[in-house]
Amino acid sequence: MRRFFRRGRLDAERAREMQAHIDHHVDDLIAAGHSRERAVKEARRRFGNPAAIREEIYDMNSLPVLEPLVRDLRYAFRMLRKTPGFTAIALVTLAVGIGVNSAVFTVVNALLLKPLPFPEPARLATVSSLTRTPKGGGENTSVDGKTFFAIRDSATTVDVAVYSGGMGGGVNLVANGAAANVEQRRVSAGYFGVLGVRPFIGREFNAGEDRKGGSPAAVLSYGLWTRVFGGDRNIAGQAIRLRGEPYTVVGVMPRGFTTGGRTDVWTPLQPSTTGEGGGSNYGMIARLRPDVTWDRANAEINQLGSPAILLDYEHSDFKDKISVTCSLVPLQQGETADIRQPLLMLWGAVGLVLVIACVNIAGLLLARSGSRTREIAIRMALGSGRAKVIRQLLIESAVLALGGAALGLVVGWGVLRALIQLSADVFPLGYPVQLDATVLAITLLVALVTSVFFGLVPALHASRVDVQAALAESRTRAVAGGRGRRARSMLVVGEVAMGVVLLVAAGLLVRTFVHLRSLSPGFDPSSVTTATISLQDKRYEDPVKVNRLFADTLAGIRRQPGVEAAGVTLGLPYTRLLNLGFGRVEGATDKDKGGMTNLSYVTPGYVEALRLPIRAGRAFTDSDQADSVPVAIVNEEFVRRYYKGQDVVGLHIRVAGGARQIVGVVANARATSSGLGGDGSPLITPYVVYVPATQTSGGLLKLVHTWFSPSWVVRSTGPIAGLPEGVRQSVAAVDPLLPIAKMESMADVQAASLAQQRFMMSVVVGLGAVALLLAAIGIHGLIASSVSDRRRELGIRLALGATGGQVLRNVVLPGVVLAGVGVAIGSAAALASARLLRSFLWGVEPADPVTFLVVIATLFAVALLASVIPALRVLNLDPALTLRAE
Amino acid sequence: MTLRKRTERPGADLLQGTLDMLVLQTLQIAPAHGYTIARLIGQRSDAFLQVEQGSLYPALNRLEDRGWVDSYWATSENNRRARYYTLTPKGRRQLLQEREQWRQLVHAIGRVMRPVEE
Repeated sequence: MRRFFRRGRLDAERAREMQAHIDHHVDDLIAAGHSRERAVKEARRRFGNPAAIREEIYDMNSLPVLEPLVRDLRYAFRMLRKTPGFTAIALVTLAVGIGVNSAVFTVVNALLLKPLPFPEPARLATVSSLTRTPKGGGENTSVDGKTFFAIRDSATTVDVAVYSGGMGGGVNLVANGAAANVEQRRVSAGYFGVLGVRPFIGREFNAGEDRKGGSPAAVLSYGLWTRVFGGDRNIAGQAIRLRGEPYTVVGVMPRGFTTGGRTDVWTPLQPSTTGEGGGSNYGMIARLRPDVTWDRANAEINQLGSPAILLDYEHSDFKDKISVTCSLVPLQQGETADIRQPLLMLWGAVGLVLVIACVNIAGLLLARSGSRTREIAIRMALGSGRAKVIRQLLIESAVLALGGAALGLVVGWGVLRALIQLSADVFPLGYPVQLDATVLAITLLVALVTSVFFGLVPALHASRVDVQAALAESRTRAVAGGRGRRARSMLVVGEVAMGVVLLVAAGLLVRTFVHLRSLSPGFDPSSVTTATISLQDKRYEDPVKVNRLFADTLAGIRRQPGVEAAGVTLGLPYTRLLNLGFGRVEGATDKDKGGMTNLSYVTPGYVEALRLPIRAGRAFTDSDQADSVPVAIVNEEFVRRYYKGQDVVGLHIRVAGGARQIVGVVANARATSSGLGGDGSPLITPYVVYVPATQTSGGLLKLVHTWFSPSWVVRSTGPIAGLPEGVRQSVAAVDPLLPIAKMESMADVQAASLAQQRFMMSVVVGLGAVALLLAAIGIHGLIASSVSDRRRELGIRLALGATGGQVLRNVVLPGVVLAGVGVAIGSAAALASARLLRSFLWGVEPADPVTFLVVIATLFAVALLASVIPALRVLNLDPALTLRAE
Repeated sequence: MTLRKRTERPGADLLQGTLDMLVLQTLQIAPAHGYTIARLIGQRSDAFLQVEQGSLYPALNRLEDRGWVDSYWATSENNRRARYYTLTPKGRRQLLQEREQWRQLVHAIGRVMRPVEE
């Protein structure tokens, strides 16, 4: 082995040694009386061929397998360097294909396929119920208190627990004299046990703490424990204040424990059959007991759960016609139900790009092998074996694939970072996502198989060439044609067709996004800052205290420089609002007593801060107090829906605690869907009733504050750097223990409402652009090689008097025709597959003619460009030179 | 074959590996360069064995690779730079072993080849 690495130097030494041998022989021969000339000749003759001996020794010092491999590798690198255009295009194609695919698949894998980070995750489930009534039915993935108790108290096949199904639970924590807004989650006793993770300090909640009136206990996350409590090992038993109430820490969860999304502190849910537990507001998790089959567990869940749900229809007229089926859904599937569809769609799009990339590689390698037939023939004529030729071509393909994969790793890392950033508002990437090794291996394998396969097929074909014919033919081949070209044409058609499908999808998503963005907000969102504060706090259950907080903080904020108006609202525009029933006072009939509406309380200054236009009547003022006449403001959509556009100022409605006089009508502010109004579109025009915060009862405040956090809305004269800090200080001056959960501009709130649409659009548009680029590369390559193959034919045509334009047309036409065929096939496929997109589209039909026309025009333009650029070389042909060269 | 016999002389084909043994034996007398080794083998066999250079140098490469000989550059008796080979202790042990094997082989073949008594 040692000699293997030193053999270059050894060989030189050997040459000198042999020369010395010959010299000594010459000396002897001269001593024996020969002439010098004869002596040299004789010594050389007797010695034989020194080069052959050195070669033999050189080979003795070589390693049997590595040696030819190194030689082939060197040759492969040399060949790839000699065709930098081909190499660059192939590498870019592979890098993009492998990189993008690995990144997206990594996300899909992490969210949909990777087992949940709990012991025996395959035995975890959630409960879903399917209700069928004569009026329709639906699936419900939440349960109410009595259903939970029915299952918990009697089940023998599963252990169950529930958690609060509420939205983000930012609450105020006070510990060690400091305040913080922390994410709280309420869970029942046994929740951690069902997941199979024990607190690493202390214990989880017991049944005593988990019932109404039980002692308040808290379990901390590892992060909160280290951040706020300095990792104090004796934390169990320490008192903290949550939501203004005293709690006792009973445990700390281990590092890395997460149920998706951020949770800082868990408190007992204290489930019941009234209040929150009176409706389907609990999410349920279940773990199958050992040796229990899914069938058995399912049967028991249905047997226990369905009767409990049926109780809700006790007094229904068609009680006997209602059926309820309760079943277990594997937890991962249940948790990812919302994001499954968009993710699978993305996966499909990415898969398409990978296929296009492979098709492109195939086309490139086919083209290359065609132009290398002659080289292969020469090598075989010189005595290279067939196996050696094939090995050489395979190694070349493998070098290409591995190089592409290495670049793909870089691309994939970048794309993954971008995806994580882009999707932060969309997917709960609670688990850290790393570029997945398995994913990478699979993609690499796909690329390797593709390039090796398409490197091998031509290699086998080429190595079977009739050496003489190939050598003779390639020199005189006049007209392009043959099988290789037809195969490449088909690849280009396929590439274009898949590109159309992707681009149509991208176009439809862009149109959707543009449509949603162009929807007028209904107010002026510029220069508006919002601050959200949780009032789920023991100290703010009294409406007087709440309203004093609003008044005092708003007074401080209005004193800040540049502030024009400020107010508080329960629900910001572009978020979902509270749903509540209302009753008509005037014009109520038995058939029409009222209905459901979105509701928000607001303070004076809110309408002004948003510049929400007042269509009739007035906004709330400081004179609307708890003891003055109860009033309400409604929006135009409410008037349109419930009062057919008539003048409603002065009429009365019964809402949020009693009859109120409608004193004003305001314009519609956009909101996200709350289940009321809209057709499932991400942005709706809600019908809303606004009531003064001062005229909202303590009971209602306490109830809504468990679900919603009010927001302070501040309008300034322009962007003011110190404003967020000014708002913070104004709040702290009134209550230093009240942390601000979130502060963002109204524009951010607006943008966040379309985060999922933006994410989908960006990714699919990116993929569409890649597909377009790859298709262009494919067409370009086809035309370029056709031009170089047909040089002689084109030269003859030019010599016989064809104009440059005629010849150009002749060369370009096939590219455009192929693009046309691809576009036709692709359009049909896109028309069929766009229907799958329907649930992502708003304000645009799946068969949107504008999108299709733009995509088709774009593809033709790109195809034309990709054909014309290489074809222009024809114009530089000198017919005389071309003909003589042959 | 490692050795070329003089065509005009009768003689047996020599067994493979014999050249290695002959080289080691030659080097036991004194360090020598390639030409000397070839000449000595010729002389000591009364010109019966003539070493082909095409075999000698690969053999020297092999012996050195196995650690049986070492080489160094020195000035020869003809005042030329030449590469000298010398026996290593390991090579000396190898020579003893090969010489013993050779003796047994010659003895055994001699036994087989003794004139048959009729």
